[in-house]
Amino acid sequence: MDLRKLKKLIDLVEESGIAELEVTEGEEKVRIVKHASAMVPRQKRSESAVQLPPATGADDDLGDGETVKAPMVGTFYRTASPEAAPLVEIGSIVKEGDLLGVIESMKQIHEIESDCDGVVRAILVESGQAVEYGTPLFVIE
Amino acid sequence: MFGKILIANRGEVALRILRACRDLGIKTVVAHSEADRGARFLALADQAVCIGPAPASLSYLNAAAILSAAIVSDAEAIHPGYGFLAGSADFAARVDAAGLSFIGARAETLRLLNDKTRLRGAMKTAGIPCIPGPDTPLADDAKEAQRLAKKLGYPVVIKASVYRGERGMRIVHTDAALLNAITQTRAEALELCGSADVYLEKHLEYPRHIEIQMLADQHGNVLFLGERDCSLQRKGHRLIEEAPAFGIPNRLVARIGERCADACRQIGFHGVGGFRFLVEKGDFHFAGITAGLQFEHPLCEMVTGIDLVQEQIRAAAGEKLRFRQRELVFRGHAIECRINAEDPQSFLPAPGKISALHFPGGPGIRCDSALQAGEAVTAHYDPLVAKIIAFGENREHAIRRLRNALDEARIEGLRTNLALHRNLLNDANIQKGVTNLHYLEKVLAIKRDAQRKS
Repeated sequence: MDLRKLKKLIDLVEESGIAELEVTEGEEKVRIVKHASAMVPRQKRSESAVQLPPATGADDDLGDGETVKAPMVGTFYRTASPEAAPLVEIGSIVKEGDLLGVIESMKQIHEIESDCDGVVRAILVESGQAVEYGTPLFVIE
Repeated sequence: MFGKILIANRGEVALRILRACRDLGIKTVVAHSEADRGARFLALADQAVCIGPAPASLSYLNAAAILSAAIVSDAEAIHPGYGFLAGSADFAARVDAAGLSFIGARAETLRLLNDKTRLRGAMKTAGIPCIPGPDTPLADDAKEAQRLAKKLGYPVVIKASVYRGERGMRIVHTDAALLNAITQTRAEALELCGSADVYLEKHLEYPRHIEIQMLADQHGNVLFLGERDCSLQRKGHRLIEEAPAFGIPNRLVARIGERCADACRQIGFHGVGGFRFLVEKGDFHFAGITAGLQFEHPLCEMVTGIDLVQEQIRAAAGEKLRFRQRELVFRGHAIECRINAEDPQSFLPAPGKISALHFPGGPGIRCDSALQAGEAVTAHYDPLVAKIIAFGENREHAIRRLRNALDEARIEGLRTNLALHRNLLNDANIQKGVTNLHYLEKVLAIKRDAQRKS
């Protein structure tokens, strides 16, 4: 196997995503293992790591879904009454106008309704937690 | 004393209250609107709670949201600051009903203050001089009205019990114009307050607006903390205020102050407040009471050395006043300028972002502002940028210091009335202390004419 052919093989491995290449030609056998060349994929990985956060969403825009925000200051509950089961869970399918949770404010209960059809992707506040105006509560996708 | 106070206001007054609370070791929660979410001073509070969107009616005037914020943040008392809900009897009653303390007058006192006729009666009982005129509405009797007006002496004013600017109010100079003015004002009164009742009063032509600062605890102890002159106004907006009022003898102020203290005891007034008077030819005439902390409270603080906000909080917590009247020492003179973001020609608010900001300093200078460079004056609320206050040994000294302070101040990126203030402090009559409620408008009109001609 001449050097020129060897170099071609090395270049081939370098350009490709292959980590290891073994070529047998008659009695000759060459094995090329990518070590240092891991730099390339690592670079790529770190790039994607930087791109990741915007995709998962910053606080204001969580994912592709609609964020349901608190319309008032108060205490958020996932249940309509203290003993009842939570109104929705992650993965629940909801329709526009469905009850998602409630906010207690000045001893009055204010219902939080979904403003779109979709699936509950995230519940961002725990039951019994105080929320302010505009606190993101749910993500509906 | 309270452990935690919710501050239901914004800007410089929220910061002023926050400073007083920190000084007293009280934790703070600042309730703010969505428009004020990024305000940098909020970082100084122990907590900040967004109570609603930008319009004040949905946030700073939203009683339910403010109460709810106080409850979820475990605050024991609510400080309303000035403006917004500070004078609202209904809000004070709701705070009370929620088991919290309202840092201000009691609801029933606020109700009395908003009822002009009842208040006038209460003041007369306490020996406070009122503007001459009958206490009852005018009867539907032309002859009687003419007789009353003649007795008071023209000019007189016909007023509805509620009036806004020039609506519901008419100044009459001659007997011939009286009856027509009564008829017109009655029609406006019916429209404004649903009653055709109108009142007749002597009209003061060139009065000064002077206020007496009061401080009262819940145990019947009342102090008067001197007076201030707030005569330099344009369309009801004050521009420059000072304490003490120039040329009014101390003895006269003390006599009126004592009567105000009596009045406070009689109506059960708690906390801080200002008795407003129209003063003409050395005579005081009662014009109303502003309950709560006032915008121009630093003037009183400068000449008495008392932290009014702290004393107000102590009084609301039920503590007794820590001073007696005769222990108070009044020293020097203080003047305050309201620096607004406004167009220098039209006086209309000119919101915008502050690109660079430098406040003056040095001995006797105080700047109250919550703004920092990079922050904006928004169109949602009043256009105040800062109040700049100068203290001096005497009036002349205070003016000199204030003029130097205004020269040091740099507010860039938006239009302000800084230059107007510099001009006014150079006005010969203002320097001499010869002013009245109409003086500022007159000066501005002359300036406008001069500009048009040039």
